[in-house]
Amino acid sequence: MSEKQLVGTKCNSCGKIMYPKRVVCSNCRARDLADIQIGDEGKLLTYTSLYATPEGIDQMPLVLGIVEFDNGVRVTGQIEDREVKIGDRLLPIWGLLRKGKGGKEVYGFKFKLSVGNE
Amino acid sequence: MTKFGRHDDKSLMDLLVEASIKALEDAHAERARIDSVYVATMLAGELTHQTCVANALTDQLGLLPASAQRIENGTASGSSAIINAYQAVASGVCDTVLVTGGEKMRHAPAAEITDWISTMTHPTAEYIHGVTLPSLAAMFTRLYMERYGVTREHLAKVAVKNHENALKNPYAHIHQKITVEGIYKSPESEINNPVISDPIRLYDCCPVTDGAASTVLCSAEMAKKMSAKAIKIGGVGNATDPLAVCERKDPIVLNALKEAAARAFKMADLKPQDIDLAELHDAFEILEFAESEDAGFFEKGTAHEALENGVTSLTGEFPINPSGGLKARGHPVGATGVAQVVELTWQLRGEAGERQVRRARRGFCCNFAGFANNVSAIILEGE
Repeated sequence: MSEKQLVGTKCNSCGKIMYPKRVVCSNCRARDLADIQIGDEGKLLTYTSLYATPEGIDQMPLVLGIVEFDNGVRVTGQIEDREVKIGDRLLPIWGLLRKGKGGKEVYGFKFKLSVGNE
Repeated sequence: MTKFGRHDDKSLMDLLVEASIKALEDAHAERARIDSVYVATMLAGELTHQTCVANALTDQLGLLPASAQRIENGTASGSSAIINAYQAVASGVCDTVLVTGGEKMRHAPAAEITDWISTMTHPTAEYIHGVTLPSLAAMFTRLYMERYGVTREHLAKVAVKNHENALKNPYAHIHQKITVEGIYKSPESEINNPVISDPIRLYDCCPVTDGAASTVLCSAEMAKKMSAKAIKIGGVGNATDPLAVCERKDPIVLNALKEAAARAFKMADLKPQDIDLAELHDAFEILEFAESEDAGFFEKGTAHEALENGVTSLTGEFPINPSGGLKARGHPVGATGVAQVVELTWQLRGEAGERQVRRARRGFCCNFAGFANNVSAIILEGE
């Protein structure tokens, strides 16, 4: 799993970096786009502890947040740690997100606190 | 419109028929030729196992062979149907059209409803991560609190105001007087008002509701023939914003609303200060603040002060949600956008009874799909 990277899209025409991935640039509508790794670490912009969790999620509460990477790209995802605050540094990690329809396991990127935090 | 609430004994079609008949009677259009029927519903197939409801309703109402279509635009289906109907009349294609929105939801398990509502979010960047509408509202609320000093007490006061207004609205789902102490300050409030998605609690969210609302739109010429009480649609606007909330330039600025409102104001040739009252999409109480700011009624970050000063109460200078809003009138998703227009129509005619707003000449409403991914704004003008 270590080769998995959190990727977005970079527009080769205007340079905009986008997440989630797109086939048409949301800025200039060019279609000359390439995959790009989003970044190694970001900071927490906002978060919530969700108690009314959807089916297929075992954690209670489910901590969700919006993480802003140093290049300005933001990613919404689950956070493994219960205690977080705005501004915390977070790392993307690959893991089980939920069980989908029919019990199928859905994997993707989520976040954990970086060791660099105070 | 029908009473909003729980309707175990009525089908979705029963609700749509009841609301439609009331609207046709009100417009003195029982015998008028209806060119087209627009039916707004988000989850008819998913929750009530009936699709193609528009022709079913048209048939039930004896309006054959009128044109008929269903509008599904998430929780903004109602306002989208009105805007589509408006365009049909404004273009001259139709003279008189019926718009009916409805939803029957309460019979379904909460988890199923939450799941269907969550399907409005981005499938890979939000939904699969467990993101729900309350969790998006919670992250929005936390940023709003951080940046503008909005507190849980401010949110509680919006709920108290909207419940108070709904007590005067016989059509409202929730007829329950609440207090700031009961839902925020007291030890019991921890039990009465549990956390849904921190910092959002139960009373910061709208209920799940059954109901339908309906209105007749026609050309000015037809209005003179049919009813002396017609209200003018001054302007309409609809606009969109990135599906994934994290992609927005500023996650607590409602750009789709800004754009939709600007289009509606431009069409009506009016400014926010010309508006006397508003029906806003308070699916979560923080949205009443954010919408009233981004639509241009208050400076960004100051709507909670306006609430504190009584400006937005029923007797204030600029009443918001005299009907009780989504919070207390209820939110049968496909019906909401139509119900907002129905409420403004009654207000502008002076027919809103105990909740009548003084000097109600021009009204504004907005209706959201998803978490403000797709927003409609409508301006109505009385005499």
